[in-house]
Amino acid sequence: MNVLTRGVKNAIRSPLKSGAIVLMFAISIALILSMLVARGSVLSKIEEVKATAGTAVTIQPAGVMGNMGGGDPLTAAQIATITSTTNVTSISSTLTDQLGTDDTNLTSSLELGSFGQRQQRFESSDTAPETTDTEATTRPAPTPRTSVTGTTDVNSIATDGGDLTIRSGEAFDGSSSDNVALVGSDLATKNSLNIGSTFTAYGETITVKGIYTTGNAFQDSGIIMPIATLQTLTDQAGAVSSVTATINSSDNVASTVTALKTSLGEDADITSEAESAASSVESLQGIASLTTAGVIAAAAAGALIIVLSMFLVVRERRREIGVIKAIGGSNGKVIGQFIIEGLTITIIGAVIGLVLGVLVSGPMTTSLVSSSANSTSTTETTAVGPGGQGGRGMGGPGAAFNQGAAQLNTNLTQVTASLTPQIFAAAVGITLLIALLGSAIPAWLTARIRPAEVLRTE
Amino acid sequence: MLTIEHVSKTFNTPGGQVQALRDVSLSVNTGEFVSIIGKSGSGKSTLLSILGALDNPSTGSIVVDDTQINKLSGAKQTQYRARQIGFVFQQYNLVPNLTALENVMLALEFGGYPATSRFDRATQLLESVGIEEDQRQRRPTRLSGGQQQRVSIARALANQPAYILADEPTGNLDSATGKKIFDLLHDLSRSQKTTIIVVTHDLEIAGKTDKTFILKDGKITTK
Repeated sequence: MNVLTRGVKNAIRSPLKSGAIVLMFAISIALILSMLVARGSVLSKIEEVKATAGTAVTIQPAGVMGNMGGGDPLTAAQIATITSTTNVTSISSTLTDQLGTDDTNLTSSLELGSFGQRQQRFESSDTAPETTDTEATTRPAPTPRTSVTGTTDVNSIATDGGDLTIRSGEAFDGSSSDNVALVGSDLATKNSLNIGSTFTAYGETITVKGIYTTGNAFQDSGIIMPIATLQTLTDQAGAVSSVTATINSSDNVASTVTALKTSLGEDADITSEAESAASSVESLQGIASLTTAGVIAAAAAGALIIVLSMFLVVRERRREIGVIKAIGGSNGKVIGQFIIEGLTITIIGAVIGLVLGVLVSGPMTTSLVSSSANSTSTTETTAVGPGGQGGRGMGGPGAAFNQGAAQLNTNLTQVTASLTPQIFAAAVGITLLIALLGSAIPAWLTARIRPAEVLRTE
Repeated sequence: MLTIEHVSKTFNTPGGQVQALRDVSLSVNTGEFVSIIGKSGSGKSTLLSILGALDNPSTGSIVVDDTQINKLSGAKQTQYRARQIGFVFQQYNLVPNLTALENVMLALEFGGYPATSRFDRATQLLESVGIEEDQRQRRPTRLSGGQQQRVSIARALANQPAYILADEPTGNLDSATGKKIFDLLHDLSRSQKTTIIVVTHDLEIAGKTDKTFILKDGKITTK
């Protein structure tokens, strides 16, 4: 029997006492690991949210939202200002319009419905013949419109934030001014359009270059053209109804938004997903802080359990230590024996705690995040009836922004516990630190025990 | 040979300074069986602790075989205890978590005895002090007082020490068992030429030793 076996044997000499210490320590280790896992997952998600949502800034003419509102479109000079703003890496511009029955030979694939009728209830008054007759004013019946979007980037129309799905044909060059168009799948079906088919719009012949699908009935009933083409066809040279600017880093979004607000003044409404993301990740940052405090508290509790336990063990066995020293046991051997004893308890507790931690860290993280998301989330998944888009008409980037905000909320609830090797190593490191601390205390105490004093006083 | 010259020991206690030993001088020849008697509090155990290098005197010197042990470093004193001294305590002081055999093997380990032969040596020692085979694997709590003291003596003899220091070795035993333990120590003294110093208040035991020192109020006189 040597120091190692004596230390291990001593650690289990009182199974009940050692078991209680091991259990308490295991719980604290499990908490440390769970908190580290939760913290890692939350921090990772915060970075992800910032990275995916933080670099797009939407600039629209003040008072305009899609085809709704009033005011003047953004001008070429304003676009130039946006493009030259520091940190802006690229922009995509859109101009939206609607084709009435006089503007095109296409038949809208949307039913007008009561919603569409209500939207058009004022629009024919300008053209209605004046009458003093007490009979009702004669107005043309409302007709479904076909939305048309001119853009420099066809992907800005996609509703999922990704690339637009071209079902057949191909996308056009965003900088082109050719009379070409991508047609929504519903509109194409309604009008029997295929690749190479033509239709008239604004008195010009437009060639179908591709047919796209988004899964959104409103979008799939529209037309996409190069922005320069639409500007020419609608006689709005240089006009833009919405710009999405991409910033080089999420860290620069706030300063760039400020710069744009300064340079564009009150002529434009500027919104960024980063602002929405900031409020969304605020609750996650709260959880991250909470878990950091949890790691510290659990580590302190674990260290205290081991230190106090070993302190009591050494006090309880002062006489035994005195005897061992009296019969020739060196300080090194006595200290070694108690260090092995402390380490044995610590290692058993740590193994149980780490296994326990692996098992509970997932549910604990999910529980922490879902309860936080429930209490702080302000954005919700938007349910829109087929053909309706929040009364905004074909919003383009506005719709994408809505999708982005919804995605942020989804992100919050999708934080899943991930136990990385780094997190596991951190937990093991903290455990070793506690073990060393728990061993150093008895070492210090046993070294101070003088056998003559113990044997005299006991 | 063991020589103590002008040894004094003073303790600081909450009630003030206590002088346990006052200018004590004595010498013990190799192989002698010596007793130290005195009333409780006379300084007997303190003297034994100093002889066993468990404590250092406040003044004076202890010379054992030409080595002044009170001037040795802590590590050297530990080595001295492990190889030159065997302790026998009134309370036996066996390690409670170890069996009788392991208690003896522990002393062998501290004395630097080869690991491969510790078991055989411990078995032989326990056999020599009358511990039966089935008792060797028992922990101290499952042994009688007399058996524990026998194990304690076997442990003290483990490294063939030059000196055995026994503090009231029969104090907790009935008279018959006490006599057997005393006879065991006496036989050792005779057969192995081991110097044995026994602290006792039993005058009958003291009467059977080669030399007796009487300790009174920290001062010693040879009987």
